[in-house]
Amino acid sequence: MRPAASEIVRVTDVVKEFRSGAGLRKKRVLHGISFGVREGEIFGFVGPNGAGKTTTLKILMGLIRPTSGRAEILGHDVGETDFRRQVGFLPESPYFYEYLTGREILGFYARLCGVPRALRGGRVEALLSQVGLEAAADARLRTYSKGMLQRIGIAQALVHDPRVVFLDEPMSGLDPLGRKEIRDLILKLRAEGKTVFMNTHILSDVELACDRVAIIARGRIVHEGPIDAFLDGGERRSDLVLGAVSAALAAALEERFAAQLQPVGDRVEVRVREKDVDAVLRAALEAGASVLSINPHRVSLEAVFLSAIEAGERAS
Amino acid sequence: MSSAALLGEASAPPGLATAALRRLAGISAIAGNTVREAVRSRLLYTLLGFGILLICAGVLLSSLSYVETDRILQDVGFAAMRFFGVAIALFVGVGLIHKEVERRTIYTILSKPLSRAEFLLGKFWGLALTVWMQLGIMAAAFAAVSWASGAPLGRAHAAACLLLGVELVVVVAIATFFSAFTTPMLSSLFAGGLWLVGNLTRDLREIGSGSELPVVRHVTVWLHRLLPDLASFNLSLEAAHGLPITALDVWLPVLYGAAYVAVVLVLAVAIFERRDFR
Repeated sequence: MRPAASEIVRVTDVVKEFRSGAGLRKKRVLHGISFGVREGEIFGFVGPNGAGKTTTLKILMGLIRPTSGRAEILGHDVGETDFRRQVGFLPESPYFYEYLTGREILGFYARLCGVPRALRGGRVEALLSQVGLEAAADARLRTYSKGMLQRIGIAQALVHDPRVVFLDEPMSGLDPLGRKEIRDLILKLRAEGKTVFMNTHILSDVELACDRVAIIARGRIVHEGPIDAFLDGGERRSDLVLGAVSAALAAALEERFAAQLQPVGDRVEVRVREKDVDAVLRAALEAGASVLSINPHRVSLEAVFLSAIEAGERAS
Repeated sequence: MSSAALLGEASAPPGLATAALRRLAGISAIAGNTVREAVRSRLLYTLLGFGILLICAGVLLSSLSYVETDRILQDVGFAAMRFFGVAIALFVGVGLIHKEVERRTIYTILSKPLSRAEFLLGKFWGLALTVWMQLGIMAAAFAAVSWASGAPLGRAHAAACLLLGVELVVVVAIATFFSAFTTPMLSSLFAGGLWLVGNLTRDLREIGSGSELPVVRHVTVWLHRLLPDLASFNLSLEAAHGLPITALDVWLPVLYGAAYVAVVLVLAVAIFERRDFR
């Protein structure tokens, strides 16, 4: 598959097999997955535990070699190293040298990334401030809480101001405030023009932050596309609550707009395509009905997610 | 502050010198951190303490003899430096890479613009520097004890310490090689076993050369070629006995050690490149 012009990450037919037992048996964990991430978007890589999310991310980070297929970031094969000057990575539940302080660990990673000595100190201070760890900058990492480690993890991923950032479960284990802070930081990265690849199984985070998603189940991509299209199955709908609906109006709504009607007491709930809302309202008002409320309808992400996974599993 | 500035990039791609400097900076960052981690090890200080204790105990042991007291003192000193130097190289060295993988600190490091070879070289040099620092401390203790006891000290002693340093670097390379793909327990067994055999390969070849069976002669010759000839780094006998040492006695083993280390590290990198960090 040819990469789209604005694609910053391209995974093509990647297969990964691990040897198990005495090394004679092979277990295939990725079955030829393909997807792309566009520049400047927040891309959610979503799937249940054991689906192959972290394996895919480790392949992108060069920690695992694919058995076959190709993975590229910024047009470079992930086996190369120099392009990683433009890539940041936060692993799941990150571990760092616990005997170093927050300031020291960021200095260490800045040095690894080739940040010039003259700029290193300023960059470290700016990041400590950005992730809210100035007060704990000189404390050893062994004294950090999980949330603080997650924040220092994000800071080290950004220490060289990369173009694309890969985050593995960035909000796992955080309290609601911590999750909001990290989410805001991710949205800020997008506002700065960076591309964010986010591995997660927390659907609410996907819904709130991601522009596009790929869903992986049992090592296969079962869906890839914009989050809105995914949520609405490609078609947005709205729920209208009408009063004084005559039998003729009800029949007309069903016939002309394929509306779904549900009587509730003396009212009727009407679910219609979003593009038909104006016409339905006109028809209702002309027929003497009253409009009590209009609400855009959203299917729960969890329901769509589960149905996508089930559909994918049936197909495979 | 622009991204390009942070990345230390000009508009043109970096030249060879800049690229080489970047690689050296990455290796030195890993090496520096390895030293920092290693010197936090209590085991290291325990081994170092025992080494210095044994060097000092040489005074007591030599006082039990009426003849060649200086030789006994220095034989014990060299033996202590060799044994505890190797022990430090093995026990501190074999776990360094394994710990990075087990604690998953390697994930963030290898996601940076640092190749696996540079990471491995950084770990190797960090451990080599640590071992040399410990050897330096033991050598200082050895010199102090010899000076206080009136035992002779000269260039031969310095040459013997230098070659001991080379031997320890060979052991560090072997430990790094095994730690690139196996557990600390197995690494220490394999590397320790190789050190023992490496001190015997010259004798094995001598014994094999007297055999009537050609296969035995060939096998012992090849074992001597493949396994490290660690006896070639041992000038302690010459130093303690005041025997003459030529420049070739020193520089040939140094060159041999450098070549052996290079080959072992190339093999280590080849294996490490293929590893999956699951």
